[in-house]
Amino acid sequence: MNSFTDSQRLWFYRVLSLLVTALLVHVAAVWAAPRAIMYVLIHGPTAQKMNMRNQAAFPEAVTARSRTVVMPSPDMLYSVCAFDLRDGPVRVQAAPALTNYWSIALYAANSDNFFVRNDRQSQGRPVDLWLVAPSPDKPQKPVPPGSEVVVSPSSTGFLLMRVLTTDYQTEKAVLEPARRTLQCSQV
Amino acid sequence: MSTKGHWSARARRVATGAALYLGAVAVGLGSAWWVLKKASWLNPSVEVGAWRANMHAGSQDAGLYTRATIAVNALLALGRDETMYFVATRDDAGQTLRAQCNYRITGVPPQARWWSITAYAQDLFLFDAPNGHYSLNGTTAVLDAAGRFSLSTGPVEQTGTFWLPTPGTGALILTLRLYNPAPSLQAAPQSLVAPAVQQLGSCT
Repeated sequence: MNSFTDSQRLWFYRVLSLLVTALLVHVAAVWAAPRAIMYVLIHGPTAQKMNMRNQAAFPEAVTARSRTVVMPSPDMLYSVCAFDLRDGPVRVQAAPALTNYWSIALYAANSDNFFVRNDRQSQGRPVDLWLVAPSPDKPQKPVPPGSEVVVSPSSTGFLLMRVLTTDYQTEKAVLEPARRTLQCSQV
Repeated sequence: MSTKGHWSARARRVATGAALYLGAVAVGLGSAWWVLKKASWLNPSVEVGAWRANMHAGSQDAGLYTRATIAVNALLALGRDETMYFVATRDDAGQTLRAQCNYRITGVPPQARWWSITAYAQDLFLFDAPNGHYSLNGTTAVLDAAGRFSLSTGPVEQTGTFWLPTPGTGALILTLRLYNPAPSLQAAPQSLVAPAVQQLGSCT
């Protein structure tokens, strides 16, 4: 026996489809949020203004006026590069030669940190990375001697170099040349 | 029903349906925002004293919600083998931290190569500190005879401690960063000797 009227059945399906829509939008928004944020970071107005596509850029020391990325560390001097591997590998080189903490971290287009190299791991040797796309469309160039191949999970991403600073004004003369050894270039 | 009446009823149904679906989209987006900004309890985390840490921050093992929460609230975090992040939004008594209140934070240096405690405003950016103090760290901390550091936050400077000014009103968020944490701490984050976070005086 069917006790539901056509109208009740119609409303049941309407409510069900609304709930499914809300759920799908919710999951899609949560999935898209990190990708959208990274897209703006890599391609947005700040990235364009700083001209950081496959090129190292050196933002000012962090202060209360630093409002590009949430929770900036006031104890780190940041250097950045938005890498794009669609036209070929990107070579990352740095030789900060500092005794305090520094690191170079690579982030995928979904915000995952997929690679990090710090001063202790580099043991005083320069960093030389040959960053390649997960499945390159074009034939790959030969890896330069001494370069370490790093496969990025995505064809675009973000490089963040951190250099510890506890008093930037006092340490500026040492830290600025050290961080500016960072090179990020499409060969 | 006349042709005109038929089209009028049909237009009403279409408009109602469209409004309901727009409402469903708004509910989906709103619930996503709420989960990412307000429902940190949805993410697997470790709680030590007033401090909470997500052990999958920055990791490729992060789940859907952890990845999105970190991107929204702490973009470009490092994995825990490089850096561990503990965040406090409440004091030891469980009260929400507020910029207009004064707090004292005391503890022993954590087991890490280097550490820092930074005060952030509700918008997750630094306070406009008139003295330029944004954090206390392993280099600037002065330890007492018992090997403990001490700092204060709030609108009023407290004598005898390192002061992080928090001008304005709204939430206060403290972040404890541990760079190159000891392997034992990475393996057991709950073994952190959590810095105490205590409110000083009354606050309305």
